[in-house]
Amino acid sequence: MRILLSLAALTTCAFSQIQADFYNRQEIPLPPGEVMEVSSIALMPGKKVAVATRRGDLWICSGAYDENLSKVTWVKFAHGLHEPLGMFYKGTSLYLTQRPDFSRLEDTDGDGKADVFETINSEWGINGDYHEYAFGTAPDKNGDVWITLCLTGSFTADSNWRGWALRITPDGKMIPTCSGIRSPGGMGFNAEGEVFYSDNQGPWNGSSSVKWLKPGSFQGNPMGNKFHQLANLPTPPEPADKSRILTERKKFPTFGPPAVVLPHAKVGQSPSGIVADMSGGKFGPWNHQLYVGEQTHSQVQRICLEKVNGLYQGAVFHFLEGSEAGIIPVQLDQKEGVLFVGGSNRGWGSRGTKTFTFERVKWTGKTPFEMKTMTAHSDGFTLNFTEPLDTAAATNPASYAMSAWTYIYQSEYGSPEVDQSTPLITAAKISGDKKSVRLTINGLVQGHVHHLTAPGLISASGAKLWHPDAFYTLNEIPK
Amino acid sequence: MSAARLILLLLISLLISRLHGQDGGQLYTLYCSACHAPDGKGATGGAFPPLAGSEWVSGDAKRAIGIVLKGLHGPAEISGKTYNLEMPPQGAVLGDDLIAAILTYVNSSWGNSGMNVTPELVKNTRAEMASRSTPWTAPEILKIYPLPEKKPALENLISRVYKGQWSQLPEFDKIQAENVEEEHDGILSTTLSGLADNFGIVWEGDFIAREDGEYEFVLDADDGARLLLKGEVVSNVQGIGPMNGGRTSKGKISLTKGKHPIRVEYYELNGNEGISLGWKGPGITEWQWLSDQTGQPQQAWPSIPLSPKDGKAVIYRNFIEGTTPRSIAFGFPGGLNLAYSADHLAPTLIWIGEFMNAGRHWTDRGTGNQAPSGDNLVKLANSRSLPDSARFKGYTLDPAGNPTFKIQIADQILSDNWKPGPDQTLLRTLLLNGGTSTLEIPLGDPAITGSATATLTPGTPATITYRLK
Repeated sequence: MRILLSLAALTTCAFSQIQADFYNRQEIPLPPGEVMEVSSIALMPGKKVAVATRRGDLWICSGAYDENLSKVTWVKFAHGLHEPLGMFYKGTSLYLTQRPDFSRLEDTDGDGKADVFETINSEWGINGDYHEYAFGTAPDKNGDVWITLCLTGSFTADSNWRGWALRITPDGKMIPTCSGIRSPGGMGFNAEGEVFYSDNQGPWNGSSSVKWLKPGSFQGNPMGNKFHQLANLPTPPEPADKSRILTERKKFPTFGPPAVVLPHAKVGQSPSGIVADMSGGKFGPWNHQLYVGEQTHSQVQRICLEKVNGLYQGAVFHFLEGSEAGIIPVQLDQKEGVLFVGGSNRGWGSRGTKTFTFERVKWTGKTPFEMKTMTAHSDGFTLNFTEPLDTAAATNPASYAMSAWTYIYQSEYGSPEVDQSTPLITAAKISGDKKSVRLTINGLVQGHVHHLTAPGLISASGAKLWHPDAFYTLNEIPK
Repeated sequence: MSAARLILLLLISLLISRLHGQDGGQLYTLYCSACHAPDGKGATGGAFPPLAGSEWVSGDAKRAIGIVLKGLHGPAEISGKTYNLEMPPQGAVLGDDLIAAILTYVNSSWGNSGMNVTPELVKNTRAEMASRSTPWTAPEILKIYPLPEKKPALENLISRVYKGQWSQLPEFDKIQAENVEEEHDGILSTTLSGLADNFGIVWEGDFIAREDGEYEFVLDADDGARLLLKGEVVSNVQGIGPMNGGRTSKGKISLTKGKHPIRVEYYELNGNEGISLGWKGPGITEWQWLSDQTGQPQQAWPSIPLSPKDGKAVIYRNFIEGTTPRSIAFGFPGGLNLAYSADHLAPTLIWIGEFMNAGRHWTDRGTGNQAPSGDNLVKLANSRSLPDSARFKGYTLDPAGNPTFKIQIADQILSDNWKPGPDQTLLRTLLLNGGTSTLEIPLGDPAITGSATATLTPGTPATITYRLK
C-alpha cells in the first residue's frame, strides 16, 4: 500500500512534456506564388535539397539548413514531370520515380536547369487512372531501385504490374519482385538495408501498415496476381476471403504479414514516406528506428523493428505532430540530423489545414522521457526507456494496461478490430540501470496487435511519458 | 477510500466509458474530421464537402448511413457546389454503434437538426444494402433517398405573358397580357409560356429574405431581362444575345428579414430563349437558383492555363485526350503545340492556339483526360509503328526548351527533334544513328506534311515541315 500511495502522490505532481521542448519544427519558406505540393525530397551535395511536386515541378533549395530560414533561395530545375513520388541524387544526376517511368535528370550545360530527361525504364502499365501512382526508393545495397505500383483506382489491376513491387537494376532492367500490394504511400529502407513500404487501409488491408518487401513475397492483396504470367513467375497465393492474416499466411509460405500494423484511426489513417534513423543519435536516441509520415493526421510516427523467426515485427509509437499539411515524403539528413518533411492535402484531407508544406525538424538536444523500444519474449515484452524510471511506478503491474486484437482479412474495405483479448500483466521487473522494464504477461496472442499503454509511468525525475502508447504487432512469439 | 483505490476506480471507470458509451464527437474527430473538418464545413477551405447545413444530412437518415457504409463516388452537388467525390466506404471498419454515434453527432452539431441515429437503424440499413459491393453514386442514392424539397424563396409568384417583337425592354404595364398564371413552385421558367419567339414575361411575387443583410443577385437572359426588388432595379441584361455568361448582370441590395416585392421583366426576340436568376445572402455563399436554368454551368475545377514562358516551350506531362497516358506535350512560343506519345514512340497530336489547361489535373485528385485547349487539332498517330523491341529513352531540351525525343531500336538510336518554324509551322528533324538499316517513319497526315512517310538512312538527318492551319 505504501508503494501505491507514493505512486498516487507522484502522479499528481508528475509533469507533462511537449514537442517544442524536444523538436523544433519550422516551415521552410517557398518561392512566392508557387503551388508546391511536395511529393519527393532528395538531399544533394553542398546542403542543397531537391524538392519535386505533384504538379511536376522540381526545385532546388539552398539555405534549408541555415539558422535563418528567411534567406532560403530556390531555383527551378525542371518542370513537366508526372507526379514524381521518389527521388534521389547520385553522381551528377537526380533520379525520379514518376507515374510513367523511372528517369534520370541532368543539367549538362551548367545553366542550372535539367536538359537531359533520360527514361531508364517504363515497362509497367498506366491507363490514365489517377490512382495508378508509382513510388520509388533510392538504390538498395545492390544498386537496384525499388518501385511499388498502386492498384488501378486502388481496387483493381487494369494495367500491367499494378499491385507489384519491381526492381530496376543499374542497367535499366525491370525485375518484378513482390506481389500483393494495394495502395502504397511511401517506401524506404530499414537499418539493415531491407526495403519497406507503407500500405493503406482498404481491400485486404484491415488497417494501414508498414510491410517488408522480402523478394518473392506476397503482401496480401491478390488483385494483381494475374501478372505473374507476364514474367513466368510462380503463382502468388489466392487467399480466402473473410479470414485472418495469420490463418492465410500459414497456408502460403510466401505470404509476408505486415511488419508493423498502424492501427486505423488510433495511430493514423494514411501512412506515407519511410526513413531509417542512421544518424547515430543526431536526431534523438532513436538510432536505427524508422520514421513514417502520416498524411491524414499530419504526423510522423516512430517504429522499432526486430526480426523473430525470420519475420520483421515491432512497435509503432506516436512521435511528431502538427505539420501544416498532409505529410507525403520524409527525408533525414543522417550527417546533420535534420528531418525534412513535405506534403499536401489535395484530394485527401489532413489535420494540417494548409494545402501544401515543406518543413524541417531539428532535435533540440533535450531527450524526452519516452519508451524507446518494445521487444517481444515468449512470455511478455521488454520496454526500454530513454530515462531512468521511478521504481515504484515501474514495478507496479497496475501502471500498465494491455489489450490485443486483429483485423478481418477480407476483400471488403478495411475491417473493424476483432478477436479482442486482454493479456494480463502479472509482473514488471526493473533493470539495474532503471531504464528497462521486463513485463511478464499471460495471454500473448500470435498475429495480434498488442496495445500497451502506461499513462501512470513516471521517470525518476517526475516526468510523464511524452507518448504513453505502443502498438506491437506480434507476428511471431519468440521461443 | 485510499488514494490508490480512488485512482484504480478512476482508471476502471475511464476504461468502461471508453468501451461502452460511444462518444460521437470523438469518433467524428478520429474518422471524419480530416476531410469534413472539425467544424463540419469541409476541410481545406472547401475542397471537401460540408456536413454543416448540408441537405444531405437532413431527411431520411438512411441516405447518410448508406454513404458511410458504402462510400460515395463521382460528382455530387452539395450545398450548391459540385464535388467530385471519392469517399471511402466505412461499413467494414465501423460497427453499427459507432456509425450511429457519429451520425447522431453530425445531425445535432453545427446547427444541423437531423434525427438521432440508432444502432438498430444502421443495422437494418446495412442488411438492406448488403448486396451492394461498390460505392454509391449521387444519382443512385438520391433516387432511393431524395433530398428534402427546398422551400422556394419566391412566394405568391404570378407570371404574365405578352406577345410582341422587342429588342429592348418595353413598358409592359402599358401592354395587355395574353395570359396570367400563378406559379406555385416559385420557379421562373420561359418554357411555360408555350412560345418560342417574339414574346415577353413579367413575374411578380414576394422574395423571402431569411435574415437581415445584403443580398446579391445574378441575372442572365436570352435575350433581355431586368430584376426589380422593392421597386429598385438590381440587375439588368440589355439588348439581344445568348445566355453564355458574357452579358450576366449582378447587383446587390440590403433586405430585412421577411417578404419583399420582386418583379422580373423578360423578353425574347427569336432563336433560343431562357432566363436564369440566382441569389446569395447572409451565410449563403453558393448561388441559389430561382429559375429552371442555372446560369453558367459550374466548372468542377478552376482554370489553370499553361503557356510558354520567357520565350521557352512549356511542358505538360499528364493524361491528355486523344493521345496515350504516357504522353509529353510541348507548348511552343507562337501558339504551336505538340503531344508526343512515349507509348506509340511517335507524335500523336498537333494544334494551334492555347496549349493546355492544367486545372483538371492540378486540383482535387486529377481525374480523367484533359483535351488540348486550342484549335485545329490534328491527330498524327493512333498506334505504334516501330518494332516491339524499340524503347523510349526520354528527351533532351535545347536552350530554348525544344525537345529531342530518343528511341532505341536495337543497335540504332532515333532522335526526333521538334521546334517552331516560321508561318505557323513545326519543324521536325529525324536522325538515325548507328547500324546500317534504313527506317521508314510514318509522318501522320500528308495534307500537313506533304508526304506520308520519311525513309531514314543512318547519319543523314531529314527535316519535315508540319504546316498548322
